Amino acid sequence: MSVIQLHVNGTIRSVNVDGNMPLLWALRDILGLTGTKFGCGVAQCGACTVHLNGKAVRSCVTDVGVAALAKITTIEGLGGDHPCQLMWIDGGVPQCGFCQPGQIMAAVPLVDMCRDKNILPTDEQIDDVMRGNICRCGTYPRIREAIKKAAGVTS
Amino acid sequence: MKATIYQVTRRDFLRQTGVGAGALVLGCTIAPDALAIDLPSLSELKHGIPVKDVPFVAIKLNGDIVIITHRAEMGQGIRSSLAAVLADEMEADWKRVSLRQAPADSTKFGVAFPYPVPPETQLPYPYAKRDVDKPLFIVPADVAQFTDSSRSMAAYYMPMRFYGAALRRAFIHAAAKKWGVDPSECYAEQHKVKHKGNAHRPLDYRRLLLGAQKVPAPTYDQLLDALKKPNEWRYINKEKVRETFNDAADMVTGKVQYGADFILPGMLTAMIERCPVANGDVKSFDATEALQVPGVVRVMKVSIPSPLGPGGVGTAFLPHAGVAVLATNTWAAWQGRRKLKPTIVWDLSSEVAAANKDYDSVKYRRTLEESTAKPGIHVRHRGDVDSGFAQAASVVEAGYYVPHLGQAPMEPPVATAVLKGDHLEVWTPTQNPDVAQWLAGFVAFGVPADKWEDEAAKAEMRKKVTLHMPLLGGGFGRKSKPDYVAEAAFLAKENPGVPVRVQWTREDDIRFAYHNAVSHQYLKAGLGADGRPTALLQRSAFTSLFATLFPPPRKGFPADLNSMFEKKRSEFRLGGKYPYGSSIERSQGLEDMPFDVPTLRIENCGAPSYIRVGWMRSVANVYHAFAICSFADEMARAAGRDPKDYLLELIGPGRILELENEGVEEYYNNEFPTAKIDVPFSGSKVFQVVGGYPPDTARLRKVVEEVARMSDWDAKKGTLPSGRGLGIAAHRSFLSYVALVLDVSINDKNELTINEAHCAIDCGLAVNIDRVVAQVEGGINYGLSMAVLGEITVKGGAVEQSNFDNYPVLRIHQTPKKVNIHIVQTDFDPTGVGEPPTPVVAPALANAIVAAGGRRIREMPFRNQNVVF
Repeated sequence: MSVIQLHVNGTIRSVNVDGNMPLLWALRDILGLTGTKFGCGVAQCGACTVHLNGKAVRSCVTDVGVAALAKITTIEGLGGDHPCQLMWIDGGVPQCGFCQPGQIMAAVPLVDMCRDKNILPTDEQIDDVMRGNICRCGTYPRIREAIKKAAGVTS
Repeated sequence: MKATIYQVTRRDFLRQTGVGAGALVLGCTIAPDALAIDLPSLSELKHGIPVKDVPFVAIKLNGDIVIITHRAEMGQGIRSSLAAVLADEMEADWKRVSLRQAPADSTKFGVAFPYPVPPETQLPYPYAKRDVDKPLFIVPADVAQFTDSSRSMAAYYMPMRFYGAALRRAFIHAAAKKWGVDPSECYAEQHKVKHKGNAHRPLDYRRLLLGAQKVPAPTYDQLLDALKKPNEWRYINKEKVRETFNDAADMVTGKVQYGADFILPGMLTAMIERCPVANGDVKSFDATEALQVPGVVRVMKVSIPSPLGPGGVGTAFLPHAGVAVLATNTWAAWQGRRKLKPTIVWDLSSEVAAANKDYDSVKYRRTLEESTAKPGIHVRHRGDVDSGFAQAASVVEAGYYVPHLGQAPMEPPVATAVLKGDHLEVWTPTQNPDVAQWLAGFVAFGVPADKWEDEAAKAEMRKKVTLHMPLLGGGFGRKSKPDYVAEAAFLAKENPGVPVRVQWTREDDIRFAYHNAVSHQYLKAGLGADGRPTALLQRSAFTSLFATLFPPPRKGFPADLNSMFEKKRSEFRLGGKYPYGSSIERSQGLEDMPFDVPTLRIENCGAPSYIRVGWMRSVANVYHAFAICSFADEMARAAGRDPKDYLLELIGPGRILELENEGVEEYYNNEFPTAKIDVPFSGSKVFQVVGGYPPDTARLRKVVEEVARMSDWDAKKGTLPSGRGLGIAAHRSFLSYVALVLDVSINDKNELTINEAHCAIDCGLAVNIDRVVAQVEGGINYGLSMAVLGEITVKGGAVEQSNFDNYPVLRIHQTPKKVNIHIVQTDFDPTGVGEPPTPVVAPALANAIVAAGGRRIREMPFRNQNVVF
């Protein structure tokens, strides 16, 4: 056990845990950030996706000690008005909704990149970025559409 | 009929629903006790408790409306869809509506529907054969929160309309009185009552609260008059509405709470290492190393005393026996569990466990094939099938295999419970709150064996156990079985005052799902020289979910226990004698097989169970539709005909299937009547609130014709490039009709691409059109997971799969490139939506692969058949 400082959603938070505890459990159990979900524990489903320095990672297989070196963003830190979030609502994407925080966190880097470059993502790009995220409700067609819309929305 | 508005003062209601004690809360009750018919004494009713004082609607002083939703929300959108029905009839402004999830309590939140009927009522088939005291309700109050079988909207559409209409009427009458005008001069619009002649300024509902309370309850006639006409609907059946009837806004921010998101002060998280073999027990374990993991607090056996032994075959929802590691956080519990696992010695000495531990599902396939090689129990017959075969010029025969499958909802099972004194509080995602509440109480407080069916004991347990229902991260039938809730209740009992959360891993979920049945189907058809069928034989073998619910006869049991369960099985919806299927499973695509063949025999062949068989999205329709819809295509090809044209010929002319004339003693029909139940009242008037839902081949034909049009079937036929083809399947389930055309490509490396999916659904009135379309999209994708990828195998009594790496499910790149969904608009009452799109997927895909030049696949998953996906 050791005190580890985490830079989460713009604030510094201390956790007193083993350095090899997966970030997922530090976020959920210690910091109470329950928007990040547990779906498989072995980086197969993507429900636990968060950003380390803007890059999507699976928090269930990322040691909290490693995450301490980076700026962590969870779904709670996305702000609520990210084009992905708005288009997810607009397109009625979620069914049970459980996987959607992870889906959105997986999609955001691609959408942000497309918006920066003023390009639209291809289906292949979307497949590449999103194939690690499982949705058992099968909302994939709407996820695809929402990503395209979010990338194209002018704000 | 009584529909009154009254002030709610019950503190527990205000607290539980979060409305706030300061608010004036009005409830609305619609009770059947004023029906002008001679009702049997309510106390004599065994099924259903006509609920009074059910506050489904609360109105705050500022006029904001709180709608209490009693059904579990697991992605189907039902809580907002039902609320939208009520809000529409009420003319409520959706911006001023908020939703609250009801806790488990069928006495407060159960709505029995429709109403009890007097004994002399002429009940239609299949009810006619039953004792008159059951079922008097489609959904009795005591299972009103059981969210299963795609029946929420079918059952609650009319009650919600009545509630809303009664409230709107009360506001209109209150305004009319205030203005001194006749109510007919007034109308309601978006939270306001207005005067048709504009002689008075509109009044907001908030200014009519006290007046509305004094409006006498409407009679049944007045209530019917108060219902909106369909052209007056604002939310119901509307393609484009400004309002969003789903929970998306909070879901995309991570704010909504699912089962694992309740963090209570001092809470411990438990992980349980369970016996891999059903009905096994814990012999010994060594907790030393687990207890050395920092954060681990306690290690203990999870053992729920029951005359049936640990969970497994025949023990309903009791969990597999196991050893729990309790810790201050999830990771510590998981680490402790890893240390503990090698030290556990399982006890597989009981007669049942000893049989289960030899279960090998690959070898068992042979058993099923042998079972269908011999005649089974006749469940339906038409004419003399043997002479039908004698007249045949050729014979087509095929066997179809479907393995065990697991539901794998995104959120693994989880339950949190705390025992404070003699009260247990539980937070858990469940499709089955009433049974979960009862089971939690049974575990925490104990129930004598002779009180299992006792209403007073159940009422007592409702007081002792509060069960909160968060949103479900998927259900698909898994969360209808509350074994995980029993585990939490047990650990709460053993650790009084300490909140305990039982967290399942994905491995737990996949190994200890109540797996869907493994099945083998044998079909044989005789074709005349003209290619038309002369005879059809279907033999269905599947491991019945009834083997899980009611113990098969066992040597180890006392004789009276064996005979009690035997009796229960046979009484309960004509449950088959072990090891045959129940009427529920037989009704799902077997007994109601729609084809218009001159001679027919359908048989159910035995299949003993060695694991906990449960149900998942569309249940027995999975294997029945795969077999019959694939076989229709095989018959068409044998006859040299177009599969779509041949399918329409097989379905034949539009007609109601009269199953009672073909030996189907009691057709389950998803609990709904096949014809309207007319209850006379007030002389010659007829009380008619529930539609009839017979299997109707005209509706099945219609979706086939519609999907053929959508997919351009006739034009594409013969013009598609080599390696590409169309497959069609059509099926009725959960009272709805679905036809699917898949357009697929398969290349020389057997790589499968699904280019297009076209789906036509007739689900009666589509209440929330956007959610219906979403369910069809999702149902097709769920069906693709099953068809191509899903397989649970069992060796040595233990499930071999563990996570999404070896139990793969559909991912985004495998999804159909184009999805085209059409809702066939009809005048029928709403029927199922969540499950009906799933059964047609596997057969449509198998048929499409053949059309694309691939070989016929007769077993799931297709990836085992050299299909690369």
